[in-house]
Amino acid sequence: MTDRREQQGDRLSEAQAIDKAKQGDAEAFEFLYNLHKRRVYSLCLRMTANTAEAEDLTQEAFLQLFRKIGTFRGESAFSTWLHRMAVNVVLMHLRKKGLPVVSLEETTEGDDETPKKDFGADDPVLSGSVDRLRLQNAVDRLPPGYRTIFVLHDVEGYEHNEIATMVGCSIGNSKSQLHKARMKLRDFLKTSRAEKAG
Amino acid sequence: MTCAEFQYQLPDLLEEGGSPQLQAHLKDCAICSGLATNLQAIIGEARILQASHEPSPRVWNSIEIALRKEGLIRQPQPRNRHFLLPSLTRRWGVAAWLVPAAAALLIGVAFFLHPPSKTETLAKDSVPTPVLVSTGDQNDDQLLQEVASRSPMMRAAYESNLKDVNAYIRDAQDSVNADPNDEEARQALMDAYGQKSMIYEMALDRSLP
Repeated sequence: MTDRREQQGDRLSEAQAIDKAKQGDAEAFEFLYNLHKRRVYSLCLRMTANTAEAEDLTQEAFLQLFRKIGTFRGESAFSTWLHRMAVNVVLMHLRKKGLPVVSLEETTEGDDETPKKDFGADDPVLSGSVDRLRLQNAVDRLPPGYRTIFVLHDVEGYEHNEIATMVGCSIGNSKSQLHKARMKLRDFLKTSRAEKAG
Repeated sequence: MTCAEFQYQLPDLLEEGGSPQLQAHLKDCAICSGLATNLQAIIGEARILQASHEPSPRVWNSIEIALRKEGLIRQPQPRNRHFLLPSLTRRWGVAAWLVPAAAALLIGVAFFLHPPSKTETLAKDSVPTPVLVSTGDQNDDQLLQEVASRSPMMRAAYESNLKDVNAYIRDAQDSVNADPNDEEARQALMDAYGQKSMIYEMALDRSLP
């Protein structure tokens, strides 16, 4: 109950801050920034694997938001609006850099049906829990296309139809890329564990 | 179900739970079961990466600078903004400036009337400009015009008052000119201007029909 009340309080404060920000109130801008900075920055960091770029993109995302805040009508949650904006900023950045937003690999649907039995035995460490730092490092090592889909789906919670719209691919491609990203992460985590043990 | 078929449908299992056949193969195949367990652990831990980092303070600093440069941050008006006479602008519009003008005269006179220690220097500078004591000055005329436009019957009374206070100012000024060290003369001049300022305020602030 306390958490719910606190959440309601935060929502009321956010609504008030949005109204004040529309009038150019500096404290309101800062309040909104502090409320959402971690989520936005973490998204940028996960998708770029570069702190300097992530900070620049965070700045750009918030500036775009604040420039357009006068148009916000409340039809959707403010955080959703901001988050979409941040994702678009990052994707545009990746495209400008010439990095593949989505892997150019075809989907695996309809591919050959050679059985794949070489995944190795179950890794007890992965079965129980995954060390956050190791997972972060593993995500950073992913190819950009895989990393984008994994971050958007498994970290940020977007559905495949949303991802497909954002990155400009099919739903099938999004699912395929996600699966490959997870398989790659599994390999990285097993490798890093083996290196640590050795 | 073969392992290849299972692995082909594994994404569906992870996302939606999978069909009974998939569940059955999981129970029968240790390798596929291990694979599914590993991937589920990765998915389960992925959310902890959300909002896991904080940007450096320079990010907000840069944002704030940009917002100010673009004029998106507007300085708020002071809540208790005090006009000299708040009701005047509401009732008298442009003519309301006459009162602060009278107050400025008062302040200007006070500025020139310094303590005795600086008398010699100030004796040269303390003589106010003629416009301050002229009974026919522009401010008085404009005030009377405003009074006349709003209540012609009151014009005569204010004209008489202004004439008296201007005479008072003139006399006090003469006393100060005669003896700049005379503190009573300086105070009398201050009082005279104070009275004139009150006449302006009364003229502009009273509720006229």
